[in-house]
Amino acid sequence: MKKTFVHFKKLAVSALVATTLALSVSGVSSAEERTLNVYNWSDYVDNDVLKEFTEKTGIKVNYDVFDTNELLETKLLAGASGYDLVVPSANFLGRQIEAGVFQKLDKSKIPNLSNSWDMINQRIAAYDPGNEYSVNYLWGTIGIGYSEEKVKKALPDAPVDSWDMVFKPEVASKLAECGIYVLDSPSEIIPPAMKYLGLDPTDLSADNLKKVEEMLLKVRPYIKKFHSSEYITALANGDICVAVGYSGDIFQAESRAAEAKNGITVKYSVPKEGSLMWFDQMAIPKDAKNVAEAHEFINFLMEPKNMARISDAVSYANGNKASQEFIKKEITSNPAIYPTEDVLKNLFTMLPFDSKTQRLVNRTWTAVKSGQ
Amino acid sequence: MADAPEQRKVFAPWLDTTQKPLIRFENVTKRFGDYTALDNLTLDIYEREFFALLGPSGCGKTTMLRLLAGFETPTSGRILIGGEDISHVPPNKRPVNMMFQSYALFPHMTVEKNIGFGLKQEGQSAEAINERVKEMLALVQLEPFAQRKPHQLSGGQRQRVALARSLAKRPTLLLLDEPLGALDKKLREKTQFELMTLQEKLGMTFMIVTHDQEEAMTMASRIAVMDKGVVMQLDTPSDIYEAPNSRYVADFIGNVNFIECTVISHNGQEYQLKDKQGNQFRLISEVQLETGSTIWLAVRPEKVIVSKEQPQGDVNAVQGIVWDIAYSGDTSTYHVRLPDGTTLKSEMANLRRVRNRPITWEDTVWLSWSLTAAVPLKR
Amino acid sequence: MQRQFDWGRFLLIAIPFLWLLIFFLLPFAIVVKISLSDTANALPPYVPTLNLSEGWSGITSFFSQLDLESFAWLLDDKIYFLSYLNSLKIAFISTLLTLLIGYPMAYGLAKAPQRWRTVLLMLVILPFWTSFLIRVYAWIGILKPEGLLNMGLMSIGLIDQPLAIINTPTAVYIGIVYSYLPFLVLPLYATLEKLDQTLIEAALDLGCSPIQAFWKVTFPLSLPGVVAGCFLVFIPAMGEFVIPDLLGGSDTIMIGKTLWSEFFGNRDWPVASAVAVVLLLSLVVPIVIFQRIQERQREAEA
Repeated sequence: MKKTFVHFKKLAVSALVATTLALSVSGVSSAEERTLNVYNWSDYVDNDVLKEFTEKTGIKVNYDVFDTNELLETKLLAGASGYDLVVPSANFLGRQIEAGVFQKLDKSKIPNLSNSWDMINQRIAAYDPGNEYSVNYLWGTIGIGYSEEKVKKALPDAPVDSWDMVFKPEVASKLAECGIYVLDSPSEIIPPAMKYLGLDPTDLSADNLKKVEEMLLKVRPYIKKFHSSEYITALANGDICVAVGYSGDIFQAESRAAEAKNGITVKYSVPKEGSLMWFDQMAIPKDAKNVAEAHEFINFLMEPKNMARISDAVSYANGNKASQEFIKKEITSNPAIYPTEDVLKNLFTMLPFDSKTQRLVNRTWTAVKSGQ
Repeated sequence: MADAPEQRKVFAPWLDTTQKPLIRFENVTKRFGDYTALDNLTLDIYEREFFALLGPSGCGKTTMLRLLAGFETPTSGRILIGGEDISHVPPNKRPVNMMFQSYALFPHMTVEKNIGFGLKQEGQSAEAINERVKEMLALVQLEPFAQRKPHQLSGGQRQRVALARSLAKRPTLLLLDEPLGALDKKLREKTQFELMTLQEKLGMTFMIVTHDQEEAMTMASRIAVMDKGVVMQLDTPSDIYEAPNSRYVADFIGNVNFIECTVISHNGQEYQLKDKQGNQFRLISEVQLETGSTIWLAVRPEKVIVSKEQPQGDVNAVQGIVWDIAYSGDTSTYHVRLPDGTTLKSEMANLRRVRNRPITWEDTVWLSWSLTAAVPLKR
Repeated sequence: MQRQFDWGRFLLIAIPFLWLLIFFLLPFAIVVKISLSDTANALPPYVPTLNLSEGWSGITSFFSQLDLESFAWLLDDKIYFLSYLNSLKIAFISTLLTLLIGYPMAYGLAKAPQRWRTVLLMLVILPFWTSFLIRVYAWIGILKPEGLLNMGLMSIGLIDQPLAIINTPTAVYIGIVYSYLPFLVLPLYATLEKLDQTLIEAALDLGCSPIQAFWKVTFPLSLPGVVAGCFLVFIPAMGEFVIPDLLGGSDTIMIGKTLWSEFFGNRDWPVASAVAVVLLLSLVVPIVIFQRIQERQREAEA
């Protein structure tokens, strides 16, 4: 799951790119217009790959972007979204499959599925049994991004590999001086918080949530802001020193800080108490009009070189085992992107919440954020 | 009412050198950008006068009123009230009230509140205001309408509320800006007399702006006829009418015939004149006329008699053809074309029924007037 | 003699009614229907749905499954009440602030020389030419710690620490006042511009200072414009979502945001619809009052 709210400029730029892309490819496709309507996260693709797809197949890609799972889900549930391929996160995908939103994939049309990574497929089977409805696009983790120098200055022996950084009042109160941001996403912060408290993150009972609420309220005063994208810039500029966020976003902050040469080194860690792993899945809505084209697109992306270019562009791992040899070394060798066995042990996944649990989780989050 | 003209005859403070004027305009000039609304005006107005400013729109009469009310300040010169320079006193500090042409009644207030507005503003007690408002309502006979809002009143009633409101504060000077303009003719005439009675009864000084010469003639003690920011003539109504000092004034007040003449000779006050056609006229006038100069004879139509036979006796007479007859009930105006193409008018009372009238279209007739009927105008 | 049916007249009345029926009543009925349904993991995400193929029994079973559960839920959790209350507070204060800023603006516009008015009016309307969303986003750029305002204030030495404005209620007020200012200024300007200038002169003539004349004449007579403008600010501010979401902090709870999270976050369309129905009903009351005032005004002017 990438981010719940995207930076406006980026959104605008992606929209612009998508539009110009659509315009430029419309010239290529001629007599028999084949089109494909894709709805993906913003800033989540290498545009050259899309261009190449159009050049090769003559299929014009209308590429739209969203920035929250909720937005995508509401469009899908309302029906007649008009999209042929969408990329929800796995836990959302799970309940969307149950609701009957998607159609089964015709795997005979996706020979490149042989390139996929079993380790990922197995984990996804928890949401999409038998991998019948979806193919992994990219995946990543939730963790702690921090500015090495600033943290050292505020708290020399800061436990950078632990949720203590944000969940322990003694530590958080110190780091609050240089600023803490937390993702504004209840379903991605509350489960790790439960793990931190030693609770079973799958048991989202009212009692357990109450405990999480109490814990979070204690550190609430030290959290400068709940936001799902601003931490990239804030971390890179040195406005804050700690951010709980998505792995790829933290790496973006890292490279921005390195480019700026402002004396800030951004690091990412997956807390040892355990954190969330998320998967963004390609799936075809039941009412899609260009089903064949959608399959062709998935097959195209599943070509190792194509998927590798996307991972290169956005610093996220993908579910394509065969692509790994084409991905830049600094990405595949980064344990925060491609985790080692040790790190993988600390990562867990969440199953979709039922609506009652969802409500409780969201309500807990509102209570933490607003104090109401 | 009957003795009112008698009273006004003796009321002429402007002739009394011991009288101090209530209001004095001293070389007042008012410009709006390039436009000169008032040009170096000097004028005195006396207490208890009913002073009328008369002239066409744009002549500066409204500017004078607004200068007095304080809505405008003079570009140069001074305005004095009771000897005190008020040129730069704001409107709310002046002992002057105004009745607006549009009445300017406050639409969100009742009649009672409107009338009491100025009193309340003065900080008078509720009882005092109440009493004065009652008095004012009685004065304008609007007692039953005290609780109405202006939009629930007729035009005449609104006019009276506006009057009551402007009188409530007992101003030293009441300014009336075309107060009767919005009323129909009958109501206007009735109100004219009401205003005159009121002014005499209250002993206040009124200054009225009007473009209606009849209204000015009826009500005013003196009239200032204005044109292009200048007072052309300042006199009593009868003097303005009988002895206009210029063609402009003569033409503005009532109907008039002009005949351009050259002075040939004179014998004392009797002058011998000649028009362009060579018609000779005689004139008895107190005005000194230079022999050889060009003047205009102004003759009021009602002083010109039309007849079929050549008139006998000591009169001026010309012959012409009846071109048109304008019938207006009590009188008829004959338009007679002279041989040179000019037209002279004669207004005759219809003493007989029209059908018995001896003169009709295309008749050759004589026009005549007495030696004292015409006024010689040099400009 | 039978009077012939007047089709023109009928259409003239029927068209606006049809418009209201199709674009207001029908959608509202749908929202009410959803609010009476129960949430489900389905497409659409609520039950029951009307199944006409089962005939009459389909219809009766559909109606028998509707209930007021969602409305009862609104009473269960104080968050809804607090959201309404907070929205009310924010809408009220914003309206007041808008009036305080908008009145002098409208007054200045109405008093400006004729040749300037078109230009000034244009300046009031001009922001409408840009997307509302972009204008609100622009405020982020102005108000954020490293934004224009803080940089400006710091560079002239007024402050040495950036002011925390963004993500606070202050930013929400700024956003609402900015966004809705024209809605207040324009009707108010229309009222003030029509105001007979001689009424002010009459007040001055009767002893008012210019300030007294304003309060005794100009202001009371501009009240219809004030009321119209205030409603045009208050009503949309009450349901505002975008501004608190972009400029407000996480502790700024407003009914629009709560509705959004019910709809998107909780996927609970019935409760979201119930929130919307209550919001609409709570706005209908001031709208009806407003209409009454307008009607009375029209009668008075007639």
